[in-house]
Amino acid sequence: MFTRILSKSLRKRKTKIILAILAVVIGASTATALLNISYDVTDKVSLQFSKYGANLLVTPHTDTIPVGFPGVDIGTVTDQRYINESDLWKIKTIYWRNNVLGFAPYLYQVVTATTPTTHQQIVLTGTYFNKTLDITTPYSPHDLPTFTTGVRQISPWWHLNGGWITDPNDTTNAMIGTTVATTLNLTIGQTFTITYQDQTTPKTSINLTVLGIITTNGNEDNQIFVNLPVAQTLTNRPGKIHTIQVSALCNACPVDTFAAEITTAIPGVDAKSVKQLVNVEMDLLTRIRSMMFLVTAVALFASALGVMTTMITGVIERQKEIGLMKSVGAENHQITALFLSEAAIIGIIGGLIGYLAGLLLAHLIGLSVFSVTISPHLEVLPIAIGLAIGVTLLSSIIPVRRAIHVEPAIVLRGE
Amino acid sequence: MNDSLITLRNLTKQYDATTRAIDNLTLNFHKGEWTSIMGPSGSGKTTLLNILGCLDIPTTGTVTINGTDITTITAQQLTCFRRNQIGLIFQQYHLVPYLTSLENVMLAQYYHKTINEQKAIDVLHRVGLAHRLHHVPAHLSGGEQQRVCIARALINDPKILLADEPTGNLDQKNGDIVLRLIQELREEGHTIILVTHNEDIGRLGDRLVRLIDGRIASDIRIEKKGVSS
Repeated sequence: MFTRILSKSLRKRKTKIILAILAVVIGASTATALLNISYDVTDKVSLQFSKYGANLLVTPHTDTIPVGFPGVDIGTVTDQRYINESDLWKIKTIYWRNNVLGFAPYLYQVVTATTPTTHQQIVLTGTYFNKTLDITTPYSPHDLPTFTTGVRQISPWWHLNGGWITDPNDTTNAMIGTTVATTLNLTIGQTFTITYQDQTTPKTSINLTVLGIITTNGNEDNQIFVNLPVAQTLTNRPGKIHTIQVSALCNACPVDTFAAEITTAIPGVDAKSVKQLVNVEMDLLTRIRSMMFLVTAVALFASALGVMTTMITGVIERQKEIGLMKSVGAENHQITALFLSEAAIIGIIGGLIGYLAGLLLAHLIGLSVFSVTISPHLEVLPIAIGLAIGVTLLSSIIPVRRAIHVEPAIVLRGE
Repeated sequence: MNDSLITLRNLTKQYDATTRAIDNLTLNFHKGEWTSIMGPSGSGKTTLLNILGCLDIPTTGTVTINGTDITTITAQQLTCFRRNQIGLIFQQYHLVPYLTSLENVMLAQYYHKTINEQKAIDVLHRVGLAHRLHHVPAHLSGGEQQRVCIARALINDPKILLADEPTGNLDQKNGDIVLRLIQELREEGHTIILVTHNEDIGRLGDRLVRLIDGRIASDIRIEKKGVSS
């Protein structure tokens, strides 16, 4: 009889019940969407951040020598040092090697770039674009013996017009920054000359053809990129590099430990985490998560208000029915059970629909905000339904109190 | 005279400092008797019926029904007492709009003890509604709704039937049907207390009590009985 009363009561007031369910759907779908995103976004956004560049910088260890007069400090001088290119593979032999997404060496030199119409002092950068290294002594026998890396791996966000240098032995092509292209009035396919001379070496020149023009809105826009051996030969620094940029997946991994291990693996270098980037990454994720919980709380509160309004209206409209039930012997706990069961059903249906709607919402938010696909998490389903039932039951406290205080003698009074 | 089933002693119901609905009323109702209560509006008829129906409690005085002083028991015990001892017939029927005739009768069974659908069908048959078992109130005439209300009042075999203007909303024909039914119940031994404004209906009972300002104005036994026409 209870289920008959319950089902008929719900069907009789289906418009209001649907409105209450919709209120729950809003809260449950928001909670589902944000919980799904929260589950996924940390790893996926972290991976996404890694696409925006390296987060570890390896430089040669330098000793600074203070100079000046007794009692007068006028600064320091540093000894120019290099990292050996032959040590690069060792980065893939540290304990956290699987978190190393890629790395690229850099050798910088200011050179003179000459075209038929102009010449300009430009930074020439020698690097790897896409080079396969042999891992001479792997950390584990299960590790792969080779590792392909370069700026293509650690800087996928570069906007490129033209093509990449694909051959590590290519000595005739260059990729130039967009500012360089403008300054030297160069387009893809055109050839220019770079010349280098210092106090100890004779002048050397090389002709290069523009293979691609890159835009990063950073320092790269002002540089000419060539294969590392081209720069090493031109500047007479065989096997030498200035820095290594390492891209590491650093969600919850100890970046400082990571850096220390690289320092141990390659003698004579300093490895520093680009803390600013890491901190911004983690701070942003924390802010996003806080915002998600705030939005979820607000949505659930709005749902609660919607359900409470519907339930109170229902109690007011059904005062005579409640009074009648009491007059034929219904006790307070039976009236309470009827209303809480209605609330629970609203919560279950709203929670289920909200879960499905939330998955869709998560998918849309994932694509439009984070540019990642959010996977459905089944473990969110009981949470969504639990939250929906909790919200409806809590919202029913005031209406139920009102229902059990209905006085049959007053509401059933003849007119 | 029959045994006293209900005894009121010095009963007073005061709503506020100036409104006294029942004023020091002492009255007995006898087993198997139909007592009609009449009086002008505000005389305390409905308040008295609510107290007898355990829907309200007096300010002072005692109400003893079938040996139990209902002024000394808890609200929960009062609910339990009501569903076991009393059947209520309302002027406005007060049927649950989304339940059928049969379900409205079974509702009283559900809150009483156990559901016996056949018994509910039998009671509806008894009040002439065997063909209306599965109709919701909106599809029943006023007289039919009142008969469902009577069936609901009878379903748990109460000792006392309280009726508040049971024909107040009915036309003459349906009113007569309902009154005949109440007379049959009285003949079967039910104790009936019926509030009415109608002198003819009031005189159908065994006894007519008139209230004015919450006090007994007259209490007479009716010699002649019959259905008004």
